[in-house]
Amino acid sequence: MIHITINGKVVQAKDGEMLLTVIRREQIDIPTLCHHEAVEPSGACRLCMVEITKPSWDGWCDYVTSCLYPAEDGLIVNTHAPKVNELRSSILDMFLARHPKSPEIRQLAAEYGVMKTQFEEVVDGDNCILCGICTRICDTMGFKAISMVGRGHGKEVAPPLNMAPAACVGCLSCAKNCPTNYIEYNMKNGGLTIWKKDFEMIACTECGATTITKEFAEYLSVNRDIPFDYFEKCDACHRKELAGTMGRIANWDREARS
Amino acid sequence: MTIKNVKDLNKIRKTSLATQKKHPKKVLVCCGTGCIANGALKIVDSVRDGLEKRNLKDVTVEILKETGCHGFCELGPLVIIEPQETFYTKVKPKHIEDILDKSFLDNEVIEPLLFTNPVDGSKITKYNDISFFKHQQRIALRNLGKISAHDMNEYIGVDGYQALAKVLFEMTPDEVIGEVTKSGLRGRGGGGFSAGRKWKICKDIKADKHYVICNGDEGDPGAFMDRSIMEGDPHGVLEGMMIAAYAIGAKEGYIYVRDEYPLAVKHLEKAILDCERTGLLGENILGSDFSFTIKIARGAGAFVCGESSALMKSVAGEVGEPRAKYVRSVVKGLYDEPTVLNNVETLVNVPTIIRKGADWYSSIGTKKSTGTQVFSLVGKVRNTGLIEVPMGITLREIIFDIGGGILDDRPFKAVQTGGPSGGCIPESMLDLPVDFDSLTEVGSMMGSGGLIVMDDKTCIVDIAKYFLEFLVEESCGKCTPCCEGLYQLLKIVERICAGKGVEADIEKMERLSENIMLGSLCGLGKSGPNPLMSTLKYFKDEYIAHIKDKKCPAGVCPELITYEILDNCTGCMACIPACGYDAIEGKKKEVHVITQDKCTKCGACYAVCNFDSILVS
Amino acid sequence: MNKRFIVKPELCTGCRSCELACSFTHAIDGVRSLTRINPIDGGFKDLWVPVTCLQCDDAACIKSCLVNALKRNPVTGAVELNHEVCVNCMACVAACPFGCAILDTQTNLIVKCDLCGGDPACAHFCPTKALVWELIKKAVKKTG
Ligand SMILES: Cc1cc2nc3c(=O)[nH]c(=O)nc-3n(C[C@H](O)[C@H](O)[C@H](O)COP(=O)(O)O)c2cc1C
Ligand code: SF4
Ligand code: SF4
Ligand code: SF4
Ligand code: SF4
Ligand code: FES
Repeated sequence: MIHITINGKVVQAKDGEMLLTVIRREQIDIPTLCHHEAVEPSGACRLCMVEITKPSWDGWCDYVTSCLYPAEDGLIVNTHAPKVNELRSSILDMFLARHPKSPEIRQLAAEYGVMKTQFEEVVDGDNCILCGICTRICDTMGFKAISMVGRGHGKEVAPPLNMAPAACVGCLSCAKNCPTNYIEYNMKNGGLTIWKKDFEMIACTECGATTITKEFAEYLSVNRDIPFDYFEKCDACHRKELAGTMGRIANWDREARS
Repeated sequence: MTIKNVKDLNKIRKTSLATQKKHPKKVLVCCGTGCIANGALKIVDSVRDGLEKRNLKDVTVEILKETGCHGFCELGPLVIIEPQETFYTKVKPKHIEDILDKSFLDNEVIEPLLFTNPVDGSKITKYNDISFFKHQQRIALRNLGKISAHDMNEYIGVDGYQALAKVLFEMTPDEVIGEVTKSGLRGRGGGGFSAGRKWKICKDIKADKHYVICNGDEGDPGAFMDRSIMEGDPHGVLEGMMIAAYAIGAKEGYIYVRDEYPLAVKHLEKAILDCERTGLLGENILGSDFSFTIKIARGAGAFVCGESSALMKSVAGEVGEPRAKYVRSVVKGLYDEPTVLNNVETLVNVPTIIRKGADWYSSIGTKKSTGTQVFSLVGKVRNTGLIEVPMGITLREIIFDIGGGILDDRPFKAVQTGGPSGGCIPESMLDLPVDFDSLTEVGSMMGSGGLIVMDDKTCIVDIAKYFLEFLVEESCGKCTPCCEGLYQLLKIVERICAGKGVEADIEKMERLSENIMLGSLCGLGKSGPNPLMSTLKYFKDEYIAHIKDKKCPAGVCPELITYEILDNCTGCMACIPACGYDAIEGKKKEVHVITQDKCTKCGACYAVCNFDSILVS
Repeated sequence: MNKRFIVKPELCTGCRSCELACSFTHAIDGVRSLTRINPIDGGFKDLWVPVTCLQCDDAACIKSCLVNALKRNPVTGAVELNHEVCVNCMACVAACPFGCAILDTQTNLIVKCDLCGGDPACAHFCPTKALVWELIKKAVKKTG
């Protein structure tokens, strides 16, 4: 255990744990757009920047992305230094100019006092903020079905060659974790379409309810050693089944006793 | 043959020197990319044919040298006759017969092919009498234009691999690091970090593997020194890498070469193959314990791939995007192992430093920036090209002595140094000694050594716009301040150029620039606002003129200028067909008029008018 | 912790106090969470089975999670789900053969029994002691 000072308060931290984790544990609110606990930090949005210093630095301070900066003993962190605040609103302003139509961005910007952008709005801008959460999640899960393509303003998230990606299993993790809900998917009639790829959902053999795609279940069954028949019933019917089994046993007990 | 030990190496050196001596008369044809583009390979063929005709076929190898770039590409193809040092420019195949008969077999000089001094029109015969070469001191470029680029024996003949032999058998790794540190050699890739210190940090880290990478990505627009070195002296680069590898304990090395440099790749591949075949690369080099291999990695074609973390990701086969890191790549670099990344020019200096000693090297240049620096001098100067000068030389000496002054004797306005991360330096600072620290102090950078000279016809706002356009195009798009911030800066500058700027824009640009520099992830964004900031600092008036008076003083920004025909128009009618937009009307021998709403400010009329009758304002 | 969670269906009256206890205990910002325990009709007269996670030894949910959001708490033995890490892929929901990893549609979070970190609220609130959190020794004696 080490000690760091955040906004004047001395707090405990694990050596090497990221500053953002400590800051959030202390219930201090700083915005982030590219952070997700499931994946390696990337340092793309730059909103989580904080001011750091140490007594030995002679009054000199540094500005670092807290999502990536490991806590060190004796570090003094200011999460809302004037320069940091200014940077944050400037970045949110840039986001707002780039994605003027995104409700999520507008709300976040408004929370930090940016109601209207001082920059030139990008008229045909889409809502993808290039945070890379989707691609990093997909990589972490081991599918690597989508990636960032191109650079600068023309950069976008796409499957290879912009065709239905063979590696995608339709788990929807990309879409569900996109901070701006940019990734579209369509679920109907027991099927699912995402990234232009069509999937069949497994229907519960009892009630017909659907939970995951057949492709995902097959992947888990093969790679994670889970019997495929586990996937054939939905959670509610599984619970009923368990109640039935336990009920029979309890009933024997009851009959045996009476 | 194989080179098993130092004895073998010295044997080759002797034979190589002897063969060179046997035929002191030589024809050197520059075969750098610039001269090849101008037809140098045809010259080589013609020389070869000519020698055959004269029954000299057997000694062609000794006579004809396909050398690396001299740096004077605009005058190519270049041919030099040795030992007289006669320097011929813009040579065509049809000249070869003459050159061989008169200049090579005899001692005559062919006047029309000589270099014309742009200052006074006189002809200069000898290579080293030309002011462009006279003021240079060549260490990194020592072999360029002197030896056949693809011949290992020639490299060995000019003391090649002697430094390697010296470190392997006379120095410990720590002594090598000590010597390089003492020489004061600083990285030539932009950052200017001490090479010796970098090696020391890397060596001291315990790890399974260490790597050496040579950065040949060279993305700065207009810079081509690394390309010329890799093409013209590939063995120099390899030897530098081997010494670095020995010093830090690396067994594997990579050269990351920009994808647009096929000739560099070809020459490096040949050099690596020659080394592998002779045993200069591989196991137990020269019979020592040192083993080392080098592979070439092709660049991914983006400017940002030259940045260390992006480069290492690219070498490892991932997307070349910078990685945010608070652990430096010397500690955790390629495949997360300690890695030394050095620029081509940095590494090519190393063998000479080892051979001649740290004290010799540090006696050149200034105290904190030792040695020489290669610049690519371009823009509105008379002599443009690649030059190598001692650190601490003034900008004035570079531009006026070596560069021969400003084209057409126009007034000097500014010089841009350091490419897209650098800045513009005004006339008042022409006497600034050029070194790492003085350039940084005035808000510019050494960068990779680009020098763009501008005259009074260059609009400074337009220059800032050019660099911003480049950066917006090249930003990898990963982090917001760089990708979006630079884009917004460009939008503001574009507005100013279009005459739609407002006074508040200046402050807005300054604040935005600060946030971009503070918030960006990698060096591209962190230094991206430099070109803008430095022009704002030294040429604020010009911005104000664009914003308040809606005028472009240099007459460049189309929306802010008008073309008018003055009364001294002779009515020659030359401009009427030149205008592609039917904007000019007039009868023969009468003063013509430009219809302003038709004029697109293309400047075609200005270019054709022989009587200075067109006024741009 | 040498305690274990025991369910005794024969004592369950289907009063659903456990559901309430679970739901309130796991509330986030005052919003009730979906209960992780459900008394379900056991198929016989007056027989209710409180169904909840069995904290399996070779848990299918842990195996199915590709981002390691599910981990066993070495102290309580419970399989715990970290919401910060979970990416809502539904693998565990589909994989659990007992249907005990579930989607809370109100909050859009996947939830499962975590034994309340070592002090199960349902056991406290069960009026008939159909749910008990007892020392393993005792349990061994009883069953053995
Ligand atoms: C955006 C960007 C582009 C760069 N491009 C190059 C390059 O093309 N060549 C190069 O040698 N260094 C380049 N650098 C610098 C490298 O990151 C690195 O500092 C250098 O190669 C280290 O070598 P040195 O110490 O010998 O200079 C670039 C840096 C940044 C931030
Ligand atoms: S699609 Fe969504 S999650 Fe993916 S990079 Fe864009 S904003 Fe981020
Ligand atoms: S500063 Fe620019 S080039 Fe560097 S990581 Fe950020 S977006 Fe990419
Ligand atoms: S959620 Fe299901 S699979 Fe996981 S431990 Fe509980 S009962 Fe077992
Ligand atoms: S839904 Fe969450 S906890 Fe369940 S498998 Fe997916 S990521 Fe893991
Ligand atoms: S959370 Fe986006 S940079 Fe740290």
